[in-house]
Amino acid sequence: MTSAVTNTVGPGAPSPSAHLTASGIKKRFGGVEALRGVDFDVRRGEVMALVGDNGAGKSTLMKALAGAHTTDGGTFHLDGREVILNTPHDAAEQGIQIVYQDLALCENLDVSANLSLGDEPTKSGWWFLPHQLRPIDDLEMERKARAAIDKLQVRTLQSVRAKVGGLSGGQRQAIAIARAVGADSTVVLLDEPTAALGVAQTRQVLDAVIRLRDTNHAVVYISHNMRDIFEVSDRITVLRHGSNVAVYETSQTTPDEIVVAMTRGLDTEAT
Amino acid sequence: MSAEISLTIVDRFRALRETRFGSFVPVLLALIAIWAYFGITEPVFLSPRNFYNLFMQSAVVGTLAVGITMVLLLGDIDLSAAANSGVCAAIVAVLIANFGFSGPVACLVAILAGIVLSAGQGALVAYVGIPSFVVTLAGLLGFQGLMLKVLGQHGAINVSDEFVRGLTKITFSPELGWAIAVAAIAAFTFFTLRRQSRRRSASLELESPGALYGQIVFFSALLVGAVATLNAYRGVPLLVVLLVALTGLLGWVTTSTPFGRSIFAVGGNQESARRVGMNVKRIRVAAFGIVGMMAAVGGIVGASRYASVSFNAFAGGPLLLEAIGAAVIGGTSLFGGRGSVWNAILGALVIGSLGNGLDLSGASAADKLMFSGAILLLAVAIDAISRSGSGQSR
Repeated sequence: MTSAVTNTVGPGAPSPSAHLTASGIKKRFGGVEALRGVDFDVRRGEVMALVGDNGAGKSTLMKALAGAHTTDGGTFHLDGREVILNTPHDAAEQGIQIVYQDLALCENLDVSANLSLGDEPTKSGWWFLPHQLRPIDDLEMERKARAAIDKLQVRTLQSVRAKVGGLSGGQRQAIAIARAVGADSTVVLLDEPTAALGVAQTRQVLDAVIRLRDTNHAVVYISHNMRDIFEVSDRITVLRHGSNVAVYETSQTTPDEIVVAMTRGLDTEAT
Repeated sequence: MSAEISLTIVDRFRALRETRFGSFVPVLLALIAIWAYFGITEPVFLSPRNFYNLFMQSAVVGTLAVGITMVLLLGDIDLSAAANSGVCAAIVAVLIANFGFSGPVACLVAILAGIVLSAGQGALVAYVGIPSFVVTLAGLLGFQGLMLKVLGQHGAINVSDEFVRGLTKITFSPELGWAIAVAAIAAFTFFTLRRQSRRRSASLELESPGALYGQIVFFSALLVGAVATLNAYRGVPLLVVLLVALTGLLGWVTTSTPFGRSIFAVGGNQESARRVGMNVKRIRVAAFGIVGMMAAVGGIVGASRYASVSFNAFAGGPLLLEAIGAAVIGGTSLFGGRGSVWNAILGALVIGSLGNGLDLSGASAADKLMFSGAILLLAVAIDAISRSGSGQSR
């Protein structure tokens, strides 16, 4: 049963090739221990799937990585250097971007505005105005949007000036991913990107995820869908009750084995 | 068959509204319909003199509507704007009449007071988390009392200051009016064409030539028509130029700066705005501050027009409801994230035209109220129809 486990569980040394490493992460919500010292790492150019039953701590861990939750213990390393991820801003500074399940897009704005949201390029020569009141360089914004969309090869998107409210679920997901990629990120966290999508749209999103891996991003992928996971991931981290179960090489395991690990843990801790 | 056709018309209508000038179309059609109707039933309605009066009558409502649009874009509402106007007008009158302040200084103090009063409410909404409806409802009551306090026991103060009166009395000579129009058209044409050429050189999507020159022709026709009409009576009023300039400035801020973009973002998806690092609370306070500024300007304009400040001119419902109605008729969504300050001006003209036209045809107050209600309902219905199915949840 444990033959496919390639990475030992516990506060061991992070593998040398890891890009982002989290060690001994603890997080408590009141009396509930959501994370009890979880270890996690992801390399560049790989898709690391993060799976577990409901309440296993997947989303909590991902939010901790994105700086949306402050942790109660544990450390983060980026290329071997310790980093503090206390706010989303910290994480963004380190090149860590998260795509939430609800996407957090503004439907009333167009694609290019959404892609630059919060970081609009402004025209030069207006230094006498506070940054918030300088004119937006919308041509630069559209150019950046075009480049980000082209990078992900979202073919069905006609115009970066289309309002997000009129787009399909898959297109929106792709735009949310493009926003994460556009921000000079090296780590992209995806929370259930294909939930509630049809077959064709799921295809579109998985293609975008593969494109992220090909462009040397470290991708963390949360999903409940075993088919998607086995299609795009390189490794799989299984969590259960806020603790690590194991890390599997996707090519050397089966969906059944993962499901068993998710629901019962490894044989040694099965009751 | 007929259902199919009507469907495509609605679709085209929706597509039209997505374009840069398209959101003007419904309210502009409403305006034209109202003008056509009253032009036929009351020929004097279309006289230059009446248009002049119409513009002046709509000025206070328009100013307030432009301000209120700022908070409507956030998804908030300001019920206290008219009462705030009253307080500011009272401050101007009292400072000039009782304390001997010069006009400009009194106006400046009033504008500052307006900003502080509204931004204070904004802070309560943003930092304490009280719904804006409740905060500004309290403000509506409180500011009415404050206005009575400031005015003292007389209840009304005359304003004879040259500067304040001049705001609504001065009109430009016809030549100057035309010069302003030509300059504005030239600037608009220049910027529109330069934008297009820059887009071409950056190989971005281009606007179709029809839309491009349509914009210029449309803008020019609007301006030439307005100036010609006003010149046929007394000339372009200083007030109209001031308000258009102020609206233009706010329009530019809302559509072309990071601050304006953040207002739309908060109105569209507050959580999303927060996650990308926008300071939602500060944006909210700033937007309320702008309402306060516009309310103060409205108060000063009112004081100037009536040459006096009285409780009845500002307090109570009509002014506030007309201002909110103007913003909504203009196509600004009450749920936030959609709208424009320019539409608020057109909405104010719709409400002003209705009132003016019904006055001319000798309608009773009862008829006027019911008509205004029907138009407001119609505007919201058009908004709802043009939006449903476009993928937006609200």
